[in-house]
Amino acid sequence: MTPELGNFSAEERAAQEERLRKVWETPKGLRYWTSVNNSEIGLWYGVTAFAFMLFAGLLGLLMRLQLAVPNNDLISADLFNQAFTLHGTVMMFLFAVPIFEAIAIFLLPSMLGARELPFPRLSAFGFWSFLIGGIFVCGSIFFNAAPNAGWFMYPPLATDKEYSGIGADIWLLGLSFIEVASIAAAVEIIVGIMKCRAPGMRINLMPMFAWYLLIVAGMILFAFPPLIAGDILFEMERMFDWPFFDAKRGGDPLLWQHLFWIFGHPEVYIIFLPAIALMAMIVPTFSQRPIVGYSWIVLAAVGTGFLSFGLWVHHMFATGLPQISLAFFSAASEAVAIPTGVQIFVFIATMLAGRVIFSVPMLFGAGGVIIFVVGGLTGVMVALVPFDWQAHDTYFVVAHLHYVLIGGMLFPVVAGIYYYFPFVRGKKLSDAWGKVAFWLMFSGFNIAFFPMHFSGLRGMPRRVFTYPEGIGWDWFNLVSTIGAFIFASGVAIVVTDILRPKPKPTARNLNPWNSGTLEWTNDPDESWGMRSVPVITSRYPLWDQPNLQRDIEAGRFYLPDAKSGKRETLVTSVLDADPIQCLRVGGVSYVTIIAALALGGVFIALTFHWWITTIVCAIITFVAIVVWLWTGTAPIPEEPEIDVGLGLKLPIYVSGPASVGWWAMFITMVGDGTAFASLIFGYFFYWTIHADFTAAAQGPGILWPMIALALFVVAWALTVLARELNEKGPVGARLALVAGFVVTVAASLAGLAGPYFHAMDPTANVYPATVWILAIWTVTHGAVGAIMHLYCLARSFAGRMTAEYDQDIRNVTLYWHFMAVTAVTTFGVIGLFPMVIE
Amino acid sequence: MKSFIPREVETLWTLFTAPTVWALHFVVCYAAVAIFCAKGLAEEITFGTLRFALGVFTLLALAMIVLSAYLAWRQWGFGSGDPPHDAATREDRKYFQGFATLLLSGLSFVAVVYAAIPLIFIAECQR
Amino acid sequence: MNDDRLAASGRPIRSGPSLGRHGVCRRHHLLLFVFPPLASCSGAQSALDPAGPEAAGVATLFYTMLIGGIVIWCGVVGLLFYAARKRRAHSTKSAGQLVLWGGAVFPTVVLAALLTYAVWLMPVMRPWFQDDASGMRRIEVTGEQFWWRVRYLGEDSGPVFETANEVRIPVGERVVFLLKSPDVIHSFWIPVLGGKMDMIPGRENRLTLVAEKPGTYRGVCAEFCGPSHALMAFTVHAMEPRAYEAWLSARKNSSGADAEGLALFLRHGCAACHAISGTEARGTIGPDLTAFGERGSVGAGSLANTAEHIARFIRYPDGVKPEVRMPHFSMLPDADVERIAAYLKGLR
Repeated sequence: MTPELGNFSAEERAAQEERLRKVWETPKGLRYWTSVNNSEIGLWYGVTAFAFMLFAGLLGLLMRLQLAVPNNDLISADLFNQAFTLHGTVMMFLFAVPIFEAIAIFLLPSMLGARELPFPRLSAFGFWSFLIGGIFVCGSIFFNAAPNAGWFMYPPLATDKEYSGIGADIWLLGLSFIEVASIAAAVEIIVGIMKCRAPGMRINLMPMFAWYLLIVAGMILFAFPPLIAGDILFEMERMFDWPFFDAKRGGDPLLWQHLFWIFGHPEVYIIFLPAIALMAMIVPTFSQRPIVGYSWIVLAAVGTGFLSFGLWVHHMFATGLPQISLAFFSAASEAVAIPTGVQIFVFIATMLAGRVIFSVPMLFGAGGVIIFVVGGLTGVMVALVPFDWQAHDTYFVVAHLHYVLIGGMLFPVVAGIYYYFPFVRGKKLSDAWGKVAFWLMFSGFNIAFFPMHFSGLRGMPRRVFTYPEGIGWDWFNLVSTIGAFIFASGVAIVVTDILRPKPKPTARNLNPWNSGTLEWTNDPDESWGMRSVPVITSRYPLWDQPNLQRDIEAGRFYLPDAKSGKRETLVTSVLDADPIQCLRVGGVSYVTIIAALALGGVFIALTFHWWITTIVCAIITFVAIVVWLWTGTAPIPEEPEIDVGLGLKLPIYVSGPASVGWWAMFITMVGDGTAFASLIFGYFFYWTIHADFTAAAQGPGILWPMIALALFVVAWALTVLARELNEKGPVGARLALVAGFVVTVAASLAGLAGPYFHAMDPTANVYPATVWILAIWTVTHGAVGAIMHLYCLARSFAGRMTAEYDQDIRNVTLYWHFMAVTAVTTFGVIGLFPMVIE
Repeated sequence: MKSFIPREVETLWTLFTAPTVWALHFVVCYAAVAIFCAKGLAEEITFGTLRFALGVFTLLALAMIVLSAYLAWRQWGFGSGDPPHDAATREDRKYFQGFATLLLSGLSFVAVVYAAIPLIFIAECQR
Repeated sequence: MNDDRLAASGRPIRSGPSLGRHGVCRRHHLLLFVFPPLASCSGAQSALDPAGPEAAGVATLFYTMLIGGIVIWCGVVGLLFYAARKRRAHSTKSAGQLVLWGGAVFPTVVLAALLTYAVWLMPVMRPWFQDDASGMRRIEVTGEQFWWRVRYLGEDSGPVFETANEVRIPVGERVVFLLKSPDVIHSFWIPVLGGKMDMIPGRENRLTLVAEKPGTYRGVCAEFCGPSHALMAFTVHAMEPRAYEAWLSARKNSSGADAEGLALFLRHGCAACHAISGTEARGTIGPDLTAFGERGSVGAGSLANTAEHIARFIRYPDGVKPEVRMPHFSMLPDADVERIAAYLKGLR
């Protein structure tokens, strides 16, 4: 199977390394920040997320101080409310999810044997968006303007401008911005795992971490868009008084709860699964054997991924929905415990069948499992409707969720930090301090959170800034506060150990734990990742493939050189990882920072209703993105094929489903389609809750929606035609693109004409508001589609898109497939549904 | 059967068949009772009829899952080899896919059965 | 950052004397050994100290799950320790069997049993009633920022009379609570009687509860509803049926006594928001103050009901309850405030 390996003399190798080093060089000085390399972006991402975690942790301590004794007056009710809102928001959005995007971006290329993930600039853009949005959200508390309606932001409290000030806008816009970054990371991770594995790394040989991250990224794709849709409705209500959640005008606060928790519950598993993925890397290493039940882990990851979307109503058991609806969600909530149990048992079984070496990472891992099992068991309890009627919104749930998240996420992450620190810095963290930190964190955690089960069952509700004395909560709260500080001291030791200056390691030891997976062949001092991309024949190549490390470093595998002076990595097939393309990825760039800053400007300016700044920033964003795409994507290569080593020649340019760009578009549009589906859900949700759906208001009529529908279908057909004609020559394609553009503009105008000419007032009632929002959503997508027509036209004239090199038009056509479905659904629904129900 | 089920499926997507059936079953059950309890479906349809219909639908979903499990079993070579299926061959990759799909079918089966339990005990739209 | 809410007269005592319950604690002797914190009698707001069938059912469910949970946790952690400390490695095959039986089959069976029990329990706990719930005693409770409007409904669903921050129900009878909210989402929760139910603007939720033991309990708002969410409690009196009927008929004819206090009350505009039955005070914005002297607390569970606390609340309500809707009356002469307070305290 394995082809003949390359053989290079010492001089040749030195020259190769020189070229590789130059190509993958990290810029110096201020330009350092323009780097897009996964190891820099991953590190910045991780450090930033960790810093946000410490900030949110301090807010947690502040709350514990306030609650230490009854009737305390340390901080005001309002500050307390801001603190708990930010604590939850920051921990979930700025720590738990981003830290895994960080770890994934940092580790995945090395683990998969790739030089780089396919879209490094997208990762950089995601990071900068995250940083700007995060600072904006966190900083608000220093101006007493932080969101204060809880991390769940339930309307009508959160839509009440008098109560929440601009806090709610900061939450909505700041986090929408970060959600965009998360979806960007999801696209990057999915395409990276499916297409950028080392040759021979078939899906049955993929590291466990990659399996988990693949599922998690898929979940992000379906979980975040409903929240983005919710954010849009919410912000329309706050900014323009469209009554989506205002009961007086037909809206319903419950729609927000549905959309929020459709996101919110998968979110828990989006956080939990990558932590388990880290455990799945650590446990085999310290058991010194392959994991037992590889397929079971895949079952668990995929099963959890699916089932987690059937749990959301268990956050709404007390809202008065029919019992049978609640029971369905209770059933799924119980079912999801099965794959979770499987994962824990896989670890135990692996330890059982191996020889366990106890170390700090294992200590944190085992401690995490012990804590998490408690959280899992209480999770089974609260998933039962009758018990949840009592426990819901009490400290019992506070205890439960911290047991789940700290045991299931924070402890494994700390284990991961201890495990992977040598990978980052070439040296282990202190074992002695690690043990002290563990025992402080473990005991502190239990002292802090275990009593909350009891205060909760004794009737203490969540989110109270104070409580009366003498109803059985006093001691529990005092103990909790003491425990919280013990826990924090353990965290402080971990942080100190990471930050303290460490002497350069004397001996070079790339694999100090004797791990079996590929990432441990990487030299942290070099930024090229893999010296050469190896052929993989085992799940644990470092254990099973003799001389692998030596051969990789001797450049005996694929891509040992960078003669073209461009950053290159291999693309392989999805199932069997056969090499199919040599992909050139983007390098150092300013454009990502500019795009992120400008987009950040849009969201921040919107918060303060600075319309002109918003428009200016939006234009800058648009220009930056176009420049980025124009210069950075689908460049026509100087030669069609390139020698990647080992006698293999691979194409540089591919288009259609074989290309990573096509997949990125596909995945993005799946996310986009999910957001759209959420809006459609909203339309029918309002239909179910009202006896008279249209509230006797006029609809958009049938004529205009049908015209819009027909025109969008024509525009879609013209786009497909342009793709077909482009294969024969540029002229026909250009004509079709111009026609497509014109028809799209007409279609968009027709789309707005229905609600406009029927004088539908979106502030009067929720029905016109819903129709408008669907029409606007579709027309906005139409506008993007029209811009894509123009973009392809320009590429064609500039000679950047030809009959042979047609990635642009193929990706645009893919967009238009989704566009057509969106348009047909929207105009079909708003035009015909009112008639159907009559 | 053979006519519409290809002998061999070379894709990752088959892995998701059974959980997708679970998801469909779940959505249909949820949407049906939500609409029934909020608006009613038609004059003649009572809660009992709805439960019965959903019960039949459950059996259908279970049958689909069993079918998916059978195909997975076939892909797994009818259990001819034991896991871990970690050889660097196309055969082992297929066995792995088959085994993982089989496990997922099992989980999906259980999840659909769980989802049907409320249909047995809850007979009205009470809140 | 100090909260001057408390500056006025020292620390508020929020649990008034009427909140202590002197009923018999339901003790689960077995659990005394396992979990001492559960054993102590925790009083008027504990879900583990049930006074009605729903809460009792949930408490039993909890204790069952607690014992099961402890066993499972010990098993898993024991296995983990054994796996880490054992002398020789077990075969991969037996480890695989552990995943199958311990990780998949066992939870599947246990969870199926648990789920079946809980789903069966749901309609038993909260049975089905026709929409009109005819023939049942109905009490409409409206959650408002940050207090409870309580209306006792008559046969024709019209309110017979209104009160606030206090619910009285007869023992042994299933009572329907109609739950509403005009402003934000609140949640109505009496832990000793049963689970909670949200009050959502634009919707009317129902909750039926039965009290089995007479006593005075505490209910709270369980959904975050704004700055004073923590200070939104109410008192529940579960009364013997005869005493309840007596209270009901007395309450229908209640009236004020102290003419001078009432005059001050009216003169200073209190009646714009508050009503006192039998007087000219008919405001509906704030809590009804009829028979205020009998209430368990001032400010929906914020302070014990004494004339001093009433006066303090009138002078500076925001200092007791942040962002409360009531304006402050610190500009009134002390004597007037004290007289009004005494008048209110005297209302029966």
